[in-house]
Amino acid sequence: MNDPGKNEQIEDRAKTLFDNSVERLDAATLSRLNQGRHKALDELRRAENTISWGRWLPAAGVAAVAVVTIMVMRGPVDVTDDPVTASDFEMLIEADSLEMFEDLEFYSLLDEVDPESNGNVG
Amino acid sequence: MSTCTGVFAVSCTREQPTGAKALQRERQLNQFLAEVERRALRIAEIAVRDRDEALDLVQDAMIKLARNYAERPEGEWAPLFYRILQNGVRDWHRRKKVKNRVMVWFGRGASSENDYDITANAPDLAGRSPDVELQTHEAMQCLEVSVHELPGRQREAFMLRTFEGLDVAATAVAMGCSEGSVKTHYSRAVHRLREKLGDHWL
Repeated sequence: MNDPGKNEQIEDRAKTLFDNSVERLDAATLSRLNQGRHKALDELRRAENTISWGRWLPAAGVAAVAVVTIMVMRGPVDVTDDPVTASDFEMLIEADSLEMFEDLEFYSLLDEVDPESNGNVG
Repeated sequence: MSTCTGVFAVSCTREQPTGAKALQRERQLNQFLAEVERRALRIAEIAVRDRDEALDLVQDAMIKLARNYAERPEGEWAPLFYRILQNGVRDWHRRKKVKNRVMVWFGRGASSENDYDITANAPDLAGRSPDVELQTHEAMQCLEVSVHELPGRQREAFMLRTFEGLDVAATAVAMGCSEGSVKTHYSRAVHRLREKLGDHWL
């Protein structure tokens, strides 16, 4: 039974018959194989897109850390330096300020008629 | 400003080869799959005795290879692909065993292994004289039945070594075992086939 020649014969015959059956697959089967292959290639593209997005994640992380570091180093923002403060709003809502707006035409007329005398007043 | 331009230029020059490399890998994978898909189908078909199931198994194996192992060197694709396929075949047999048990439990007989219609699934007969064709067909039918009836590991070793032409090392990777085991399974498979098929088959 341990005849290597016979074993080789079996292997050769099996291989020949198998190759023959592979060559003679019908068109419908080949078409389905083709479709399956293209699905696999679509999957490859999808995987590569995911990888290419993932490639920027470390850079985005570094950028975020840099922004946070800069914010921490600058310290808390001083609110009193803000040009628009609460006192400005108080001036706007005072009753005197509203009266001044009512006489606005008078003040502009005065300015046009006698600019020099305006300067000498007081 | 000059720093920004520099960073942009570096980013652009790095993007170009990555795209070209991806395209080349896609082409290589397409070529590899086109080369192995037919033999893989027939190997799966002999293992499960159903062409539709075999087509599904091959498609799953192709998708899993593309998704998980496309980055690996091209030389590793064949053993990896067949490993995925063999795992798929083993899972299929497990599922079928469970299904058959359930069917017996509900009083419906398990579908016979011989439900597979070899004639319906036979290759196209065009182009040869009927006598030669019949002989070839019958010989292949005997071979398919005999290979299918081998124990699972022997069947895998025989099909991967003889039909696919993988060497012992690649077959070991595909089967997930040692090279020594591959040699043992293969040798036993050939002896068993000799016993089953007989000298007249040669």
